Amino acid sequence: MSLPRSNYDPRRVCLNPFPNLNLGKHRRTMGIYLAGGLFALGNWIFLDAAILSAHAHSPYGEPQIPPPVHVTFVDWVPGICSLLGMLIISLIDKDRVRGEEGFGDSRAVWQARLLLFIGFALMAGGLAGSATVLALKYVLPDYTEQFTYYGYANVVQNVALMLSAVVLWFSQSTSSEYEYHLSI
Amino acid sequence: MAHAGIKTVILLSFVLAVGFLLIILSCALWANWLPLLVALTFVLAPLPNAVFASCGGDEFSAEYEGSGRIDLGRFITAIVVVSGFALPLVLAHSEIIHPGACAMSIVGGSLVYGTILAYSAAFKQEDSEFD
Repeated sequence: MSLPRSNYDPRRVCLNPFPNLNLGKHRRTMGIYLAGGLFALGNWIFLDAAILSAHAHSPYGEPQIPPPVHVTFVDWVPGICSLLGMLIISLIDKDRVRGEEGFGDSRAVWQARLLLFIGFALMAGGLAGSATVLALKYVLPDYTEQFTYYGYANVVQNVALMLSAVVLWFSQSTSSEYEYHLSI
Repeated sequence: MAHAGIKTVILLSFVLAVGFLLIILSCALWANWLPLLVALTFVLAPLPNAVFASCGGDEFSAEYEGSGRIDLGRFITAIVVVSGFALPLVLAHSEIIHPGACAMSIVGGSLVYGTILAYSAAFKQEDSEFD
């Protein structure tokens, strides 16, 4: 009747504890490969839409009508914003953001946090911008699925870039987390 | 490595040759030489790791420093590998190359990259014996 209490952890929150993913020292490596893969995947999906648009056919069934919409520079802007945001986030020194007392001056911590904020704002702006482009350029004018794909590809690109930045951040801060546990 | 011997090398070289054969066939059969980029991509894939591995210093300093350069190498490697798979898919999707060419170049590219991975793994084992 009673559950085995052999691996009971008093700090746990949920009734069923999360599976303990213990990839050990390879976690950082795997995370970085995953981040790179997500980054490339997102960008390739958008490039797919761009290439498809450059070689676009007429709408299905009406061969004499030219394709009504193309991927233009507007579609590239959200991706560029996300890319800039990802660059900024990756360039920040992660120890600075945490801002321990008595370590470094507070001005540098403040600047690092401001930079981090700008980076995340750029990424969120890219995501929101891609959703805006999808809605205003592709969904509202009632294009067929063949053309709304460009907008969806844009959204997927920005989501993938954001996920990539998050995975990169977490996998790069695992080693400092280890030190953190040591210090406690 | 001594035990794996010459058979492994011969097998790997055959697999590599088959991979390149598939890629070149995928170009030549449809007279469209764009899938050759896949071969280039997969050959270049181990390059970032090879370049940045020597920048990282030894394991102890890398552990504490965060080894950003090695991370960059791995990030670029992942990008290049995914690009190698994505490029023929994208080209086939926009009907620039034939779907058959796409499948052949993907299989060939993964054979080439698998060969490179297996070969470097075999050599790494030899290295670690001296450590």
